[in-house]
Amino acid sequence: MRVGIIGAGFMGTTHAAAWAETAATLVGVADSDADAAAGLATRYHARGYPSLQAILAEVDVVDICTPTHLHYEMVLAAAAAGRQVICEKPLARTVAQGQAMIAACRQAGVRLLIAHVVRFFPEYALARSLVVAGQIGRPAVLRLARGGHRPQKAVGNWFLDVEKSGGLLLDLMIHDFDYARWVAGEVETVFARSIGHSRPGAPVDYGLAILRHRGGALSHVAAAWAYPPPTFRTGLEIAGDGGLIEFESAAMAPIELLLRPDGAGSTPDVGKPSSPVHESPYTTEIKEFYAALAHGHPVRVTAEDGLAALQIALAAAESAHTGQAVRLAPLPEVQP
Amino acid sequence: MKIGILSFAHVHAEGYAQNLRTIPGVEFLGLADDDPVRGRHYAQQCGAPLFPSYEALLAAGPDAVLVCAENSKHRPLVEMAAAAGVHVLCEKPLATTLPDAQALITACAGAGVTLMTAFPMRFSAPLREIKARLDAGELGPVYACNATNQGELPARHRAWFVDPALAGGGAVMDHTVHLVDILRWYLAAEVVEVYAQTNQILHAAEVRVETGGLLMLTFADGVFASIDCSWSKPDYYPTWGGLTFELVTARGAVRVDAFKQNLTVYRQAHQRPAWAHWGSDANQAMLEEFIAAIREERPPAVSGLDGLRALEVAQAAYASAASGQPVRLDRPGPAS
Repeated sequence: MRVGIIGAGFMGTTHAAAWAETAATLVGVADSDADAAAGLATRYHARGYPSLQAILAEVDVVDICTPTHLHYEMVLAAAAAGRQVICEKPLARTVAQGQAMIAACRQAGVRLLIAHVVRFFPEYALARSLVVAGQIGRPAVLRLARGGHRPQKAVGNWFLDVEKSGGLLLDLMIHDFDYARWVAGEVETVFARSIGHSRPGAPVDYGLAILRHRGGALSHVAAAWAYPPPTFRTGLEIAGDGGLIEFESAAMAPIELLLRPDGAGSTPDVGKPSSPVHESPYTTEIKEFYAALAHGHPVRVTAEDGLAALQIALAAAESAHTGQAVRLAPLPEVQP
Repeated sequence: MKIGILSFAHVHAEGYAQNLRTIPGVEFLGLADDDPVRGRHYAQQCGAPLFPSYEALLAAGPDAVLVCAENSKHRPLVEMAAAAGVHVLCEKPLATTLPDAQALITACAGAGVTLMTAFPMRFSAPLREIKARLDAGELGPVYACNATNQGELPARHRAWFVDPALAGGGAVMDHTVHLVDILRWYLAAEVVEVYAQTNQILHAAEVRVETGGLLMLTFADGVFASIDCSWSKPDYYPTWGGLTFELVTARGAVRVDAFKQNLTVYRQAHQRPAWAHWGSDANQAMLEEFIAAIREERPPAVSGLDGLRALEVAQAAYASAASGQPVRLDRPGPAS
């Protein structure tokens, strides 16, 4: 299986390392920045390409790691060429785009896999499997949180342009919207507030959302671009009628560095808590995608899941904008 | 100063009786209870006189009383005390209806007696530390808050907590008012809008009130704050529950756990860990403030109006949960 990565940024780099752990061949990396494409490709004995179009003929699978607003046209182009598609989250910038992408891939007879990596983090996967196994009864109230610092990007970078990235709710909060739905089922209503909406231009951003699931469970989702670097922390709590699961990354990290300055002028390394595992969740994800595409094995996240998460995130943004609760229309693509 | 306790319906009454005995110059006069069995039980347990009726206790000449009746019975007892010229500390929520809360405030004002709402979290040492830092400007302006006041099912201790006629509701009525009061105190601003979702999945077979609840408040200054008031801590949790919040400010965030000052204790007899709290007793400080306010003939730090304002938010939460949309509180004016 020949793979081409589109986008040589942070996520393209992460996926390239993961592909190296599979039996697939990374043929090339496409990026409009030729140096970035060649720089990443060389590390894996692959070639740099200037564009998606330039690499399409060389690969079986296109792995799209580009800015969010480019996902739509790139997935359509890959599907039109009959290539299997992996696409980073969020699926697209609008639900209509996402629906068109799913339809195009179905029509072309190619798979579309969305990289909602939180489903592959061992703590999140374990918590969900405990719920599925009935260990805590029926989920009633979920609390999900993740946060770090505002992405440190240059002025003009796509990430800080809400039109292109969708901002905090679409880029970060969507992880937990997807997870809430994975654990507690389809979402019926969304109500949200965010500093980005209530105080545009504030030095921090923070969002809170209340979801009501069709089955009656409630989810509280929090996302922060507010903490000082290098902080990044996540938390989950699932209260069921037969038990409770709690996780807080900062409290449960197995390693805490408390090192004095090394004398070479470095600052004290109090770094972020570290939680090493044998395999990066990104590698677990790409391995599962590889097995799905190469061997037809089952995969834990589908394009339809990506569409449903996108719909929740966009509804949260709409709610934060209008101040009203937003009721979600059932998606015909998603089987209840 | 002689102080009596009117009703031992609320679980806090036992602690208050002990607290009173440690305050110099205060005599715990005794108690009265409309449930004679409960009255005899706690009179014996506290080693205190049991009066045959509330009237008899008030006739014995107390300077002040603590009203610890079921929520819906606060009003007649407070009115009776006010008519007798006796100062009142009233358990939270101040009442179950806004007319009742207004009536008992009016009765105390008319009689010229002190009325204090029992909001002990105002006297929590960690929470006072945050108040001092906020007021000193150390934390920057507050933009958002993510708060929880979760607990075990209180019916484990007193059945009336889950009786809507006596408690006025379920988890929302029980666990919303503390955080509303703390946030009003921190922000010096009133709540102008409330959104809420509730459910009854936890303990569904045992109770008919809501056991899960998520609220989103908006304050007059634009701060938004969520409150998780769920009875989502299981009976086998290491403690009864807790109160936490994350304040997001222009400078970042502050995370607070009001009841984290614990020892973790493993006892062979219990077969599960328990948290033994060693932090300062907020109830003690609250009672000392009540007594100091009476002695110094000044308003107490927490008023009856504070109790009314918190109740308004809980009532608005029920209205929002019923309508599915946020409810405006049209009550302009600065915080008391």
